[in-house]
Amino acid sequence: MIFENIALAFGAVFEFRNLFLMTLGVTAGLIAGSIPGFTITMAVVLTLPFTFGLTAVEGLATMIGVFVGGLSGGLMSGMLTGIPGTPSSIATTFDGFPLARSGRPGYALGIGVWSSFFGGIMSAVLLVTLAPRLATIGLEFGPWDYFALVLFALTITASLSGETLIKGIIAGMLGLLVATIGEDDVNGVERFSFGNDMLANGFSFLPVLIGLFAFSQLLSDIQDTETARKPLMDAGDAKGVKVEHWNAIKAIFKSWTNVVRSSLIGVFTGILPAAGGSISNILAYDQAKKASKESHKFGTGHVDGIIAPESANNATAGGALITMMALGIPGDVVTAVMLGALLIHNVQPSPTFIVDNPELAYSIFIAFFLAHFIMIGMQSFCLRAFLLVVRIPMYTLACVILVYCAIGVFALNNIQDDIWTLFIFGVVGYGLRLLGFPLAPMILGVVLGHVAELNLNRAVTISTTGDQFLLDMISRPWSLFFLILASFSLMFPFYQKHRSSKTWTVFFPPVLVLALSIPMFMMDGTVRTVIAFGLIAIAGYLVVKAGRRGFRVDPDDTPLTPPA
Amino acid sequence: MAVSRDTIVAILLLAFTALMWNASTEIEVTPYATMASSVWPQIILIGLGIFSGLLLAQSVTTKPSPEAEVEPERLGSMALLARYRNALIIYALFFLFLITLPYLGMLIGATAFVFLALTLLGRLNARMVGVHALIALGSVGSMWAIFTYALHVILPQGEILSNMY
Repeated sequence: MIFENIALAFGAVFEFRNLFLMTLGVTAGLIAGSIPGFTITMAVVLTLPFTFGLTAVEGLATMIGVFVGGLSGGLMSGMLTGIPGTPSSIATTFDGFPLARSGRPGYALGIGVWSSFFGGIMSAVLLVTLAPRLATIGLEFGPWDYFALVLFALTITASLSGETLIKGIIAGMLGLLVATIGEDDVNGVERFSFGNDMLANGFSFLPVLIGLFAFSQLLSDIQDTETARKPLMDAGDAKGVKVEHWNAIKAIFKSWTNVVRSSLIGVFTGILPAAGGSISNILAYDQAKKASKESHKFGTGHVDGIIAPESANNATAGGALITMMALGIPGDVVTAVMLGALLIHNVQPSPTFIVDNPELAYSIFIAFFLAHFIMIGMQSFCLRAFLLVVRIPMYTLACVILVYCAIGVFALNNIQDDIWTLFIFGVVGYGLRLLGFPLAPMILGVVLGHVAELNLNRAVTISTTGDQFLLDMISRPWSLFFLILASFSLMFPFYQKHRSSKTWTVFFPPVLVLALSIPMFMMDGTVRTVIAFGLIAIAGYLVVKAGRRGFRVDPDDTPLTPPA
Repeated sequence: MAVSRDTIVAILLLAFTALMWNASTEIEVTPYATMASSVWPQIILIGLGIFSGLLLAQSVTTKPSPEAEVEPERLGSMALLARYRNALIIYALFFLFLITLPYLGMLIGATAFVFLALTLLGRLNARMVGVHALIALGSVGSMWAIFTYALHVILPQGEILSNMY
């Protein structure tokens, strides 16, 4: 059966039209990713309207191409100019730029490109093996568990968004509130319409998302008139650079442990809802530096300082796809857009997604593999295109893209109200940015609002009373598991802030691990009981390790600061 | 005592929460054996109210950092206008584009929007006006053609073009 599905998916992905679209997608992603201020999310968002006329396989494969290309494109500008193209490539700049400046730009680019490739391929293997298994676990979820999972997704997004926790949570709540406007999914009752037809119909989430994210981002990019009028960057030194493929591959094989570790960090970060490449690249860099015998050379052009972030950020994409395909929950804003693309093609992401849509699911797996090979092939061409694109001033790019956004959202449902939605949420998004509110929790709130309400409604209806509902929430193992994670994720910003100064932070990781063992014990099956004992052992080890240091904090353990 | 930006934001959020709470009490109650339609919005609003209150408390108790001394609200209205000039231009033009869309249609309206936005945001001289006109025609024309002929999306034609054909 699996081989039959793989064969079907191969047929769909390797069709000439699809290969052409994927190559276009990867190329667009590589160029978009290399432009500072032009994030991968925006590139994927802008690709979406083009996918309306395509089949689900073609649309998703093209978007995956943009996603993979974007993750790898950020390294070009980071290495050649010192300005990272995307937040996912910030740590790449720390060593990539010095190495390029020391006269080896082709070698630096080669290391970056091939690290991206190997990281991506490793995460693709994990995607194929883990997603179906995670989906099997997802089938055990009842509405209580789903509701708790959404709560966890929102709390961790708020706590990892790099801004204040309170503002992150408020942004998430605003997103949930936006999703309640219009007709209620269960009872069909109109809410918050204030007598307005547009509000009575509710907001389609894609115009909201494009408005909040792309519209407001473009306005932020052109805020300063002089900067907006200048070419995007000066990449004059980069002319004539040739990627040193062979030397790079040899260097990466020498550091294979770094590639494996960083890829695993990337996949794990991607699986967490809302934690994307912007976090994984810094985490992986930090771990590579700690593990290296030459940590003092980091920041001066060390090869491991390029391998770690680039392996991790591409691996994050696979992790985010695992969560989306297995649970129907977006791993980050990019997969939230992909989730929207699936809905456009009448495909409902859920734990039964892989079983119900095997051809599409396996096509996504294969497309993710294939995109990395296309990325390697297109890198040299895109280096030349990158040098041309960066001559364009930002204001020109922004004005053209704004109109493209308008046309794109109109094409979604063929109604002008969607362009008004784009405009309104463009204003809201820009305002929230200026006031220091992170937008990722709001976007996740809009996307997950309906899922949360639907499952809450089902859970309350089955539980019959409020008390019984609360009891069910804490007595069901998966629900308790996610509630524990949600509670600890709320405390995570405080842990990060004080972990080099306050003693209580020493106990944070072991208490979390110990707490997670409780729901694991409550689950059926021997494997899960063994995992629960394993968690207790890990907690014990962490306490003993801290005890050897006299339960003192490490003042050099500086907190990870994800980019805003 | 100076009022910080977050204090004002928190007060506005509390007022917004109160307004929405009031609206939530008017949501129709159905006789079905499901959760009432007002429950979920009210749960969100309770959370929003609590966290807006916490933001208010935090903004009042936390001392502003030295960099925060020059906050936008402390600037004069002209300086504020200058700082957000480009955003205001784009919003005004986009609003005009939306209002006139039923008459001008997507092709004319979007071309006019791009041309005016580029001209107002970029340098104003005869050569650049020409360049902006070309960019507007080329970019909108190609997008319009892709959506109309390749993706078969019927974009708003507008009264002007409809009357011509």
